[in-house]
This record gives sequence, C-alpha cells and structure tokens, in this order.
Amino acid sequence: MTKSFDLVVDGVIDALRAHVLPNSNDDFVRGQVFSIIFALNGLKLAADWKAGPLLEQVRLQDAAFSEVRRLSAGMDHPPIPATPRAETGLADPERLEALRDGGDRRLGELLLWAASASTQAAQPIAANEIERTLRSFIRDQLKVEIGMTPKSMLHQIATGDER
Amino acid sequence: MQQAVAPSDRTLHPSAGHVLPPPNVVDDNVIRSALAVHLGRKFGGEVVIDGFARKSSGFSWITYSFVARSSSAPDRKLILRVGPPNGLFAPYSVLPQVHALQSMAGKTVPVPDLVSFDQDGAEIGFPFFICEHVKGEVPAPWASSSLDEDHRRDIARQFIAILGELHKVDWSKTPLASSGRAGEARGEIGAIAAWRCSLARPTARYYPLLDWGGRWLEENCPSPPRRAVVHGDYRIGNFLEHARKITAILDWELTHLGDPHEDLAWALMPTFNAGSRKFYGVVEREEVIELYQTVSGIPISAKSLAFYEAFALYQAAAIQMCAVRAFEVDRFNDMRMAVMGSQMASIVRAFDRALEAAA
Repeated sequence: MTKSFDLVVDGVIDALRAHVLPNSNDDFVRGQVFSIIFALNGLKLAADWKAGPLLEQVRLQDAAFSEVRRLSAGMDHPPIPATPRAETGLADPERLEALRDGGDRRLGELLLWAASASTQAAQPIAANEIERTLRSFIRDQLKVEIGMTPKSMLHQIATGDER
Repeated sequence: MQQAVAPSDRTLHPSAGHVLPPPNVVDDNVIRSALAVHLGRKFGGEVVIDGFARKSSGFSWITYSFVARSSSAPDRKLILRVGPPNGLFAPYSVLPQVHALQSMAGKTVPVPDLVSFDQDGAEIGFPFFICEHVKGEVPAPWASSSLDEDHRRDIARQFIAILGELHKVDWSKTPLASSGRAGEARGEIGAIAAWRCSLARPTARYYPLLDWGGRWLEENCPSPPRRAVVHGDYRIGNFLEHARKITAILDWELTHLGDPHEDLAWALMPTFNAGSRKFYGVVEREEVIELYQTVSGIPISAKSLAFYEAFALYQAAAIQMCAVRAFEVDRFNDMRMAVMGSQMASIVRAFDRALEAAA
C-alpha cells in the first residue's frame, strides 16, 4: 500500500472519530459512521491507488529524460536517470508512486538548470529548447492527474452548504 | 471615533503558577470563560458573555459572535477572532489585522472598530482580537449568487472603489509603518520569497513547475507604481454588505505593504467569482480597471496585472500546499485540508498558463 493512500484512509477515519461521532447522538447515524469506519479499514487492507495513471506519469517522465539527454549532449547538466526506470510489468503502486515523486524532483532540477542565467548564457538555443520540452512533458503529466481529479466542491467544503 | 486600544495588560507570570502551556485544541467553553474574565478586567466590572457562537468554521482564524453584558454599560455585540495552533497559517500573529484595523479607523475604508487584542495568547491560550459587530451578510465567492445583477453590480463597484481608497492611504503615518517590511525597498519581492519558502517545506509531492515558476516570479517582479497597503485577500467573500451597501472589509491577516496590482489581480481570479472572468460575475475587467484607476489615481499596467495574476495562482498553490502539509505532516485531522490538495494539478496548470501570459 502506498503511504499517501494510507494517509488519506487514516485521515478519513480520524476525522469521523474526532468531528462526526462526538456530534452525533442518533444511534442510527452513529451506526452508519461506525459502518463507514469498518468499510474504510477493509479498504486499507484490500485497496490502493490505480497503477495505470502512475505508470503513465512515469513513462512521460522517462520520455522527458530521454529527450533532455539528447538535447543536452555535451552540456554540463544535473544527473539524468537511465530509462526506462520501471521494469516491465511493474504494477506495484507504492514503487510507482516513489518513481513518479522522485522523477518530479529530477525534472525540477533539470528545469531550474535549463532556465538558469549561466545555462542560458552558455547555450541559449539548447537551453530554451530543453526548457520548452520539459514544460511540455510536465504539462502532459499534469493532464493525467487532472483526469483523475473530481469536480471541485470548494463552496460546499468551505461553507457546509449543499448548493 | 474609535478609541485608542492597548493590548491586553495581562502579562505572563510563570512563577505565579496560573499560566498553562498553550493547548492544541480550541475548546469553545474554555474560550468563553476566559473571554468573560478578560472583558471584565477591560471594562472594569463583571461581564457576562451571552449568545456565544462560532460564526464559521473557516480554514484559518476562528470567528465567534457574542454579546457582552455588564451592569455598568449597555450591551455590546462583539466579534472575537482566535488564531488556532493548527490553522492553515499557524503560528499566528494578530498584529497585521490589529495594525490594519487601527490604520483604517476613521478613513474611507470601512472596518470594524477594534476593542481589544492579545498577541502572546496569555489571556485565552491563543492570539486573539475583539472588534465591534458590524451588520451585514458575507457573500459566497465560489457559487453563483442568488442576488440580481443590478444588486451585484452595485456591490462590485463599491468594492472596487473601496480598493482604490485603500491604496491611496498614506501608510507612513499609520501603525502599518511599523510592520516588518516597511523599511525594505522591494518588500514585494520579499513577499514572493516568503511564499517560496513556504512551498519549499517538505511534503510528499513536489511540483517542478511551481519551483521553477517561483524563481521566475522573484527574478521578474515589476516595480510597483507606488507602495500601498495591500489587503492580501481582497475578494468576494471578505466583506459584509447590508441593504446594498458594503459595511466592512474583513480578514486583514495577510495585509502587507506592496504593489497595488496584487489586490486587483487577486480579486479578479475566476475562483473567487464563481468561475467567471467578470468580477462578481457581472462587471467586465475593463470596467473594473477603469473604475479603480479613477478612484485611486494609480495607473494599471497590463504587464504588471498579468504578473500578479500569475502570482495569485502561485499563492493559491502555496496555500493548498499549506493544507496538504497540515494534513500529511502535522496530521491535522481535518479532511478539508486533505481534499484541498486534490486540486493542485489544475492550479499548477493554470499557473503555467498565466506565466506564459506574463512573460
């Protein structure tokens, strides 16, 4: 199980125990809350994030690394991981999540390097192309995440109003 | 005319044995009891707290309304705001809000009168301030308003005109002149750096576009047309209106000195206008800018406004990451914090687009 999945489930259970149960005096409602906690504990044992979107993000990162390696040939750049980073058939969400998060940090280092004054001064055309390429791949990666994001409920969350 | 207000005169006396370590949870009953003691000393006689109730369960400061009753004076309807130990921007200081309310008193920007405050939290366990209750309702920024268009236009134009008045204030002769960044030549760059520091705090997720974009903002921050009092959270939802008139501007916790474009860009964010590009869903941007310039006398630069629209999204992302951190790292058991972070990808993409427009 991934750490973030675990955190979310634990957070829901904690919030129900701390905020909902103490304010529920109706036996039926309390029974519903305890049932939800039980179901969540079951999910903790049996469920996890989907591997597919994580794998897609890791593949996009790998494509970005390959392209930057090609564009930065001969330049003094931060380390670029060897690709592919995920072995064939890897479907463990915990390992994929760690690869995705680690990949984001590498992409950040490369982006900051490409946009730095020293790189821009030394090789402006290549630096701009690397910056553009990285931003493009990162945007594609964000699209994968946006596709898994439910519609915002900020109004309901902030006000408690169903409208 | 507002009376001069001094901070609470109660000081910490650890040796006396009656000062406890600050609690981690805000207990409404404890707050109410301590409030009665505080106001009794402040007003010079026994005070009974009546109708004590949380006004909202906001993400940051906790707001209570109550009536203070005493035998020696008429009843006073008051508002208490408490900075909780685990809120979004904890640890809290009351001073930005206190200085703002003091500075705006008697000016053309409507604010509640300040009654009392305590920065060190000795009185009730947390930093707090008390102000007069002001009549009015708070409109919701995230959902379409049920008010008719003419009504909203009236309010929207008042709100922009008040912003123009705020930015005209000569802060050098107000308590805001004592704020930390008052002496800095480019304080607005310091504000960007502060948000970058906030984003650099460790969390599970790292967003490369935010890291890179934050540096771009710091390196490309335009010079302001003048240094003004920036409210910092000037938007639909942070004022009271009654009978088609704005009666008070609220929530001054992010007040600082900076570029007036910052408030204008923040107010225009579609997020705070029920998703609309029009201000309050009814006033075109061009009309907002024209009205603002007329009232304030400050020329608006399209380039600076684009910069601060990108900065607004950067701040929004940083605030969401504060919520993620409160949930993941500080283990604050408020699920609103956890789900706020679920919109990060959308915000980062919008920020990236705004940077392209600003570059």
